[in-house]
Amino acid sequence: MIERLGLVTTQLPTTSSGVMALLVVLLPLLLGVLGVAGRPTRGWPVVLVSLLALLALLPLLVLMQLVVTHGTQVWVLDLGGLALHWRANGLTLLLLLLTQLLVLASAAYAPTYLRAAVQAQGSGPAWLWPLMGLLASSLSVIWLAADLLALYIGLELMGLTAVGLMLLPGRIEALTAGVRYLLLALIGSLAFLLGVALLLGNWGRLDLAGLAEVVEPGPVLWVAMALLSAGLLLKAAAFPLHAWLAPVHGSAWTPVSALHAALVIKASFFIALQLWLVLAPQAAAAAWVVGGMGAAAVVWGGLLAWRADKLKDVVAWSTVSQLGYLLIGFPLLIGTVPAVVSIAWNGVWLQLLAHSLAKAAMFLAVGNLMLATGESRVSGLAGASRRFPLALLSFGIAAISLVGLPPSAGFTAKWLLLHAALAAGQWPWLVVLAAGTLLSAAYVFRVFRYSFVEDVELEDYQTVPLRMDLIALVLALASLLLGLTATWPLALLQIVGGAP
Amino acid sequence: MPPLDDVLLATLPVLLAAFVLIDRHLVRACSLFVLFALAVALTWWKLGLIWLALLETLLGAALTGAFLFHALGVGLIRRTRAAGVIHGMDPVPLIWRRGLVHLLPVLALLGMLSAALASLPASESSLAARWSGLVLIGQGLWAFALHTHLLRRLLAFNITGTGIFLLLMSLVADTAPALGQGLVITGLAVAWLGTALGALLIRRLAALEQRHEATPANGGQAS
Repeated sequence: MIERLGLVTTQLPTTSSGVMALLVVLLPLLLGVLGVAGRPTRGWPVVLVSLLALLALLPLLVLMQLVVTHGTQVWVLDLGGLALHWRANGLTLLLLLLTQLLVLASAAYAPTYLRAAVQAQGSGPAWLWPLMGLLASSLSVIWLAADLLALYIGLELMGLTAVGLMLLPGRIEALTAGVRYLLLALIGSLAFLLGVALLLGNWGRLDLAGLAEVVEPGPVLWVAMALLSAGLLLKAAAFPLHAWLAPVHGSAWTPVSALHAALVIKASFFIALQLWLVLAPQAAAAAWVVGGMGAAAVVWGGLLAWRADKLKDVVAWSTVSQLGYLLIGFPLLIGTVPAVVSIAWNGVWLQLLAHSLAKAAMFLAVGNLMLATGESRVSGLAGASRRFPLALLSFGIAAISLVGLPPSAGFTAKWLLLHAALAAGQWPWLVVLAAGTLLSAAYVFRVFRYSFVEDVELEDYQTVPLRMDLIALVLALASLLLGLTATWPLALLQIVGGAP
Repeated sequence: MPPLDDVLLATLPVLLAAFVLIDRHLVRACSLFVLFALAVALTWWKLGLIWLALLETLLGAALTGAFLFHALGVGLIRRTRAAGVIHGMDPVPLIWRRGLVHLLPVLALLGMLSAALASLPASESSLAARWSGLVLIGQGLWAFALHTHLLRRLLAFNITGTGIFLLLMSLVADTAPALGQGLVITGLAVAWLGTALGALLIRRLAALEQRHEATPANGGQAS
């Protein structure tokens, strides 16, 4: 499992890969700071910043080339007696690419959105850029980190940045939801730190590869894992700890919601899964508990999304439901035979990629619909099908992936998970997958049912700038096309240490 | 049996924390919190961690304290009148039965922790710090679950965090002090940023509510 996570390699890293990784982390932050100075609202600053942002993709592409040719890269950064461990393998690269593309898409969406929907009051919009850059940087740190100290720094940076982004609208609802989110994030990080403290106290090291060799099952490991998982699952909005998610999204800006649902929640999940695979790879019984939480999340999130009154709540509850699929990956990956693991491994990460793209697209599409109709409720969509076909099309294409219909990436991912569950003989997950598909179809078609109501005259509606519609559409198409080209990410996932 | 001054030094933060968490008078609670942070800095110094002692004084006592007082509208030079909405007192009295009920999950967590810690031997010098860390974690979590006032929850969060730092350093002081200090410094910075964000939020929310009350007709902003 350590090989799959790219934590060990027989090869020395190439010299340029470390520099590239550093650039991947730092460039988004730099661009964010530039965003404050340039204030990309319209005209040439937007073009300039977009060009610069595309340049920021370059180091990532170089790094990708290096990893594909030389295999997994592992670095140690020495800070005066404090060694921080990093790694880049196929999985890291996929997640980095996803992060950069989604942040770029939201950043391209944001200026038009701010102008059309927010009418830029106060200092909120100026803060958006550095915070977005910081979010991208902290996410990159999380994907690249291979020890608990670096993970802790990345997690905290990401958590506080996410809280800050949620507070930007500055209205009372946003602030009240933000307070709850802040307190939850702080409590989650305390639990994480306490877990790390126990691990460090007992085994005296924090690098994941080293810990994997020395940890032994026992009360210390169990308590530490319980604390770490509790903190991370709270931040990931996993089933019994999910109640904070919908209110937080309800008042946040659309591009921020998209980033939060697509990336921030996934980062906590990623850390949790990684820690389980490294520290407790045989704890099947405990993994079943997490899987059970996932199953409950799929059903409960789906039901609430179906009953939700507000459009954004539908999408937010759907995130809870879709995250359940990822949690089902725990019992499929932990304590099972290698044949099952290799199928489930592909399934879990493809589901993560597919859901991130589709959910970001769906949030942007819903944001466009809300802006166009001036309504935040599902029933306010009546008549939308004639007026706003493009936004509805993006919503529909994203929904194909969320429901899991072919040929979307969501379908491939769920098919792989289904296959893994069959191969492992864990039939309860089949029922959950089926129920989840039906429920997600139900909540998606409920939105469509309202928007195809024809006998309503829309009096005051606002035309949405074409650019906003196009970005949502491109992301939705990406989640669809990823299903057709799924061999490429799956091939990247196979890159392991040493052998190129 | 650890020496007497160690025991005294470990008891001082615990006692101060108890006063901070029970006091409904918010300005007094915040002043006590600054004292608490200074007492913890003294503990760090006593454990031979000079850098942590300095950071605790700077971040924990001075800067966190400044933001806490800012949230209450208490300036260094004059009381800022704008904060009239913020209550000097937490309006919710302490109900002992509720307090006892909230004690149960905390005791469960502490039991779990001590079960895990039982297998980790403590040296003579770190035993006192470990116990005060555990008690602080318990106190902080209990108060966090019990109180509803945002400022008091921030105080409880800070005290829980400090407890975790003490426990962490008592565990790793002999084996991996550099890693432990890295974690604690990150944790201190996060706690300070979180408190600062919370304090600014308290001020902002109070100002918005005041405006909301002043102009009820104009209150419904387009959502």
